[in-house]
Amino acid sequence: MPLPTLTYPVLAAVSAVLLPFVGFLLQALMGKRSQNGAIALITIALSLLAAGYTFAQVWGNEPIHVQWRWFTIGQQVFYVGLLLDNVSVLMLLLVAFVALPVHAYSVAYMKGDSGIHRYWTYLSLFCSAMLGLVVADNLLLMYVCWELVGFASYLLIGFWFTRDAAAAANKKAFIVNRIGDIGFLIGFAILYSFLGTLDLNTLFGQEGFFATASGAEASGIIAHPKIPAGWLTTAGLAFFLGAMAKSAQFPLHVWLPAAMEGPTSVSSLIHAATMVAAGVFLLARIFPLFDDTALLVIATTGAVTAFVAAYFALTQYDIKKILAYSTISQLGFMMVGIGIGMYQLALFYLVTHAFFKCLLFLGAGAIIHELQHLNDKHQLGIDPQDIRHMGGLRKYMPITFVTMLIASLALAGFPLTAGYLSKDALLIHAFEWAALQNDASVAIPYVLAVASILTSFYILRLLAKVFLGSPAIGVMTSARPHEASAWMLVPMLVLAACSLFPLFTTSPLNYGQAWLLQKILPMAALPPLPLLHVLVPLLTTMATVAMTLLVWQWYVKQKYPLKAGGLFFRLSQQQGYVDVFYDRIVAAAVLRCSNVLFWVDKHIIDGAVNGLAALGRILAAIAGWVDQRLVDGFVRLVGKLAWGLGNVLRRSQTGRLQDYMASVFFIILVILLYHLIVQA
Amino acid sequence: MNPHLLTILIFIPLVAAMIMFIVPSGKRAAYKYIALITGILQLVLSGGMYCLFHPKGAGISEERLYQFVDHIPWIRLDMGSFGRLEIDYFIGVDGLSMPLLFLSALVMVVAIGASWNVQKSVKGYFILLMILDMAVMGVFSALDFFLFYVFYELMLLPLYFLIGIWGGARREYAAMKFFLYTLFGSVFMLLIMVGLYFSVTNPDTGAHTFNMLHMMNPANYVNGSFFSALANQELFGISARLLGFVVLFIAFAIKVPIVPLHTWLPDAHVEAPTPISIILAGILLKVGGYGILRICFSIFPDAALQSAWWLGLIGVVSIVYGALVALAQRDLKRMIAYSSVSHMGFVLLGIASLTTEGTAGALFQMVSHGFLSAALFFLVGMLYDRVHDRNIYHFRGLATVMPRYTVFIAVAFFASLGLPGFSAFIGEVFVIIGAFNAESINGLLPRWMAIAGSLGILLSAVYFLWTLQRMFFGQVRLKGGNVWSAALTDASPRETVIMVPMLALALVLGIYPALALDKINASVLALVELITK
Amino acid sequence: MITLTHFLVVGACIFAIGLYAVIARRNAILVLVGIELMINAAILNLVAFGRYDSTRYGGQAFALFAIVLAAAGVAVALAIILNVYKHYKTINPEDINKLRD
Repeated sequence: MPLPTLTYPVLAAVSAVLLPFVGFLLQALMGKRSQNGAIALITIALSLLAAGYTFAQVWGNEPIHVQWRWFTIGQQVFYVGLLLDNVSVLMLLLVAFVALPVHAYSVAYMKGDSGIHRYWTYLSLFCSAMLGLVVADNLLLMYVCWELVGFASYLLIGFWFTRDAAAAANKKAFIVNRIGDIGFLIGFAILYSFLGTLDLNTLFGQEGFFATASGAEASGIIAHPKIPAGWLTTAGLAFFLGAMAKSAQFPLHVWLPAAMEGPTSVSSLIHAATMVAAGVFLLARIFPLFDDTALLVIATTGAVTAFVAAYFALTQYDIKKILAYSTISQLGFMMVGIGIGMYQLALFYLVTHAFFKCLLFLGAGAIIHELQHLNDKHQLGIDPQDIRHMGGLRKYMPITFVTMLIASLALAGFPLTAGYLSKDALLIHAFEWAALQNDASVAIPYVLAVASILTSFYILRLLAKVFLGSPAIGVMTSARPHEASAWMLVPMLVLAACSLFPLFTTSPLNYGQAWLLQKILPMAALPPLPLLHVLVPLLTTMATVAMTLLVWQWYVKQKYPLKAGGLFFRLSQQQGYVDVFYDRIVAAAVLRCSNVLFWVDKHIIDGAVNGLAALGRILAAIAGWVDQRLVDGFVRLVGKLAWGLGNVLRRSQTGRLQDYMASVFFIILVILLYHLIVQA
Repeated sequence: MNPHLLTILIFIPLVAAMIMFIVPSGKRAAYKYIALITGILQLVLSGGMYCLFHPKGAGISEERLYQFVDHIPWIRLDMGSFGRLEIDYFIGVDGLSMPLLFLSALVMVVAIGASWNVQKSVKGYFILLMILDMAVMGVFSALDFFLFYVFYELMLLPLYFLIGIWGGARREYAAMKFFLYTLFGSVFMLLIMVGLYFSVTNPDTGAHTFNMLHMMNPANYVNGSFFSALANQELFGISARLLGFVVLFIAFAIKVPIVPLHTWLPDAHVEAPTPISIILAGILLKVGGYGILRICFSIFPDAALQSAWWLGLIGVVSIVYGALVALAQRDLKRMIAYSSVSHMGFVLLGIASLTTEGTAGALFQMVSHGFLSAALFFLVGMLYDRVHDRNIYHFRGLATVMPRYTVFIAVAFFASLGLPGFSAFIGEVFVIIGAFNAESINGLLPRWMAIAGSLGILLSAVYFLWTLQRMFFGQVRLKGGNVWSAALTDASPRETVIMVPMLALALVLGIYPALALDKINASVLALVELITK
Repeated sequence: MITLTHFLVVGACIFAIGLYAVIARRNAILVLVGIELMINAAILNLVAFGRYDSTRYGGQAFALFAIVLAAAGVAVALAIILNVYKHYKTINPEDINKLRD
């Protein structure tokens, strides 16, 4: 096939993906000679420009699809290509846009680390893979990038590899992600097996295999005639398994809190804003595939995750763990968005969440950085991530406080923030969707609402513990911690601005006007319940206010009424013992199994082989015995017999003539007698 | 173009061996240089052939579609009432063998590089290595069954001595085990070969023949002969053709190896010196897979279809079993040996699927595993050379001590566990896809086998990452203390020069698999067509 | 009347005596005498059976032939005995057992 014409948007998109990759290669080759991250920073900035150009050209216009032959296997041709439509260019821009501030932030945050050249190399690799993931035009290429982002995440989580916890965490992250990868693999194997292609456009595009099914009946997909219903469901669930691992859905969420062992800047980019959202993105990309069963599973898992993670977040002391669970919880919200058939809303929330969650992590990073600094300077020996050692920081780090406040309110879904627009839209639609259901799934929006209230509580708790009250450590007042450097603050301010409503809409209270939602795809029509559109925002806002008061009472006024150590407290503190379960039961079972099999290998299979050898030896021994004793014995017997006979006969050899004569006569006599008898 | 390129490729090592024989044994250094020059010469030659190889040359069952063919009558013996004995020197290359020939040449160079520090009777060592080299090349290009068998057995002998003399502590046990296992298979192969000989005639001369291509054509079978498909002979109540297939399969499957005929492999690998481990894993295991495709499947296609389900099952069991047992290992080399069992299981699964994706994936996996396992064993050898210990639990935090080595081993591990961008990924993914597809294309394998096989991908991540974490990350803690940390120097230039091309090749093939697949495709299509038609 | 049987009986007796002498005597000369007796027994038989060959007298002729041979034999045998005596200083056949293995 002829090479596709390279239009400017395509060229821009390709360079957006490849620039960080070039950066990666350059830095990998230079090794320790590239310390300051200039290459990474420049390539990601150029990449952002290219992504911005692509976005401007494609957004709202016809999708662009280009592909080149990659390889042929048998007669099946596989392509590598770009599919630039509204969803992918939006993600392209988002990833590049979030990555740039994080890169800038890292310049200051990672300064002086002995392995910093590796840091920049890995970060560039991640950006390239993530950008490739969002624009890939077929599932195979997507899978490639999907695993590569996981690999980059592995490298970055284990960045401080001399720490045992980091080494364990990156292993855990990769293995859990591998479980998901297998789901992804099986999913696209099913599609390929029945439909013979992996091209997203052919499968899910306007005239694709699933086109007739989607559109009019958004959530009532009829089975495609080429795929049996059972396999369709299986494919949907397999892809969801992939998304579950990547987007840290319960019960595969365990790797994300552990992943906080990586540098905080990494957590903000990869484990909050971009990579973990890839699962949601994948599901949105292949949305027409899902049938009712799969969607229900997605929605249920999402709701459970949203609630459970929020519950775990309530009692954590590690500032990054709280944020990690918060991320998991919000990803659960997005999953519900997919599950109720409103993947546009899920994507919208993904975008807004990316900004404020990234900001929250960067803020946390600024605080940790400062505390680490104090810790080193005054030999305090404290854990710089523990919120019990913070408090009263508002005075010393006001800008950080303000930006964190904005982000927290956005997370809580407070009006005038981007989070309000997206999260409340999700909640409203969840209620509208539930109105159509008539089984237990009507509980889903209520669970979400509870999770949402819990969200307000834990994030405000975090704010109160960190910034309000009085410093927990005496040194703090004398040492006077201060704001981070401009390299760190400016990115935070940029992200704070993006967490507010103006970026998305001009009417802060009505998500329907958001340009993002209007362009992605026409919203599928659920019967609107007008009352909800007023009630839900009102109630969530009131709940947030109530939580603010509660937190103020408990943590700022120090009137904490509960006893730490109750059952529910411990369950939350220990993160539901999920990790314990995996370590003690699942991992132990696998190890046990492998040891048993090794034993079988060594003793039974090898034993059989050695037994055969021994059997052979025994047979040989028997044959040898037979040979020596029986066969040889017979031969020797004959010899002995002859010898013995000779011995007897020699007696007759007296040497005397007369004896000989006698015997001659005797023999003649015998012969004569014989003849006499025979003849008679 | 010289028409005898392939013959030259095969017999260069023999010439080298003769030269070595003449060189007085005092000049120890001379041998390795002769060997290295031979290896590089072969590599260049096979690389040139790879480029010259026309991708449309399907081969498989038609002589005119083979390339670099040399077809000379070799043994013509009038045997009275048995007719004339017709054995040819018949070699040629198609898409199945071309990548494997190149792989062998490359792995040989690596093995020679890894033999640089051999001290014990250098002369004998390199002469045996050269003979092995010749036999391996011969096996991959022979198209006459008799010739194939000669090379096949010839391969065994040098290996026995190389393991038995230059090996580790339990070398005699390992060498004997390896030898007996393989001999067990090949002796029965001899029976089938003779049976085939008496069943097949050359349509041109009418004489019985060992020509494999004639054996693939049902029309050449003598009426009512033992292996004739029409005669449907039976032995012990089993169809003779099925019996022949099974026996040949076992002979090759021991080489692959499959569970439960695999236990020679960990012992042989652990006891063999590093270069021999490299050759074992890099080339020898591929002889098994290649033999199954070239001989078992092509000559007995009907039996292959009948037993595909079982083959797939064996493949899946090997994948999962090998991976689980690898997880229980404490010896790094043994762990990698078991991982080979697991990875070669994919080859069997792909072959059994009899889809183009699966078979091409299996072939690709063989090539990829050739590079990667050679690299892995070389890396283990590097560690062992330094401290004479391979126990995973005796090391910790090596990344701090040997950063470049850690980069190599991490890349090799991730490539082996199927990270996209490396060759193993393409191989494994297409084996899984092919196995998945089989149900809708030819109904040979149920889909659960593909799903179970993909578990192997997960488990390989588990054991490789566990090893990385246990040995390379964390604070430095070595069993040998300061003595070890002094001994554990980073990769030397020689080692780097050997490692980089291997890993780069795995990377190149992973990013642009068309390099290999374009040469393979036509043959795979022809093979699948031959079997499933 | 004297019949053939009488001759044969006498011959047999002489033969038996000669045999006894050959086997049992402790003197080589007497052994030789025994041999002569057995030859003479045979000659007697020849002569006795010669009666039935009245045309050619084969029996008598053969008897004469045997007598001459016996005489020659005795001469040789006596010479041997003499030599044996010279060598062994005895002619007792019991003591001459060099033929033993």
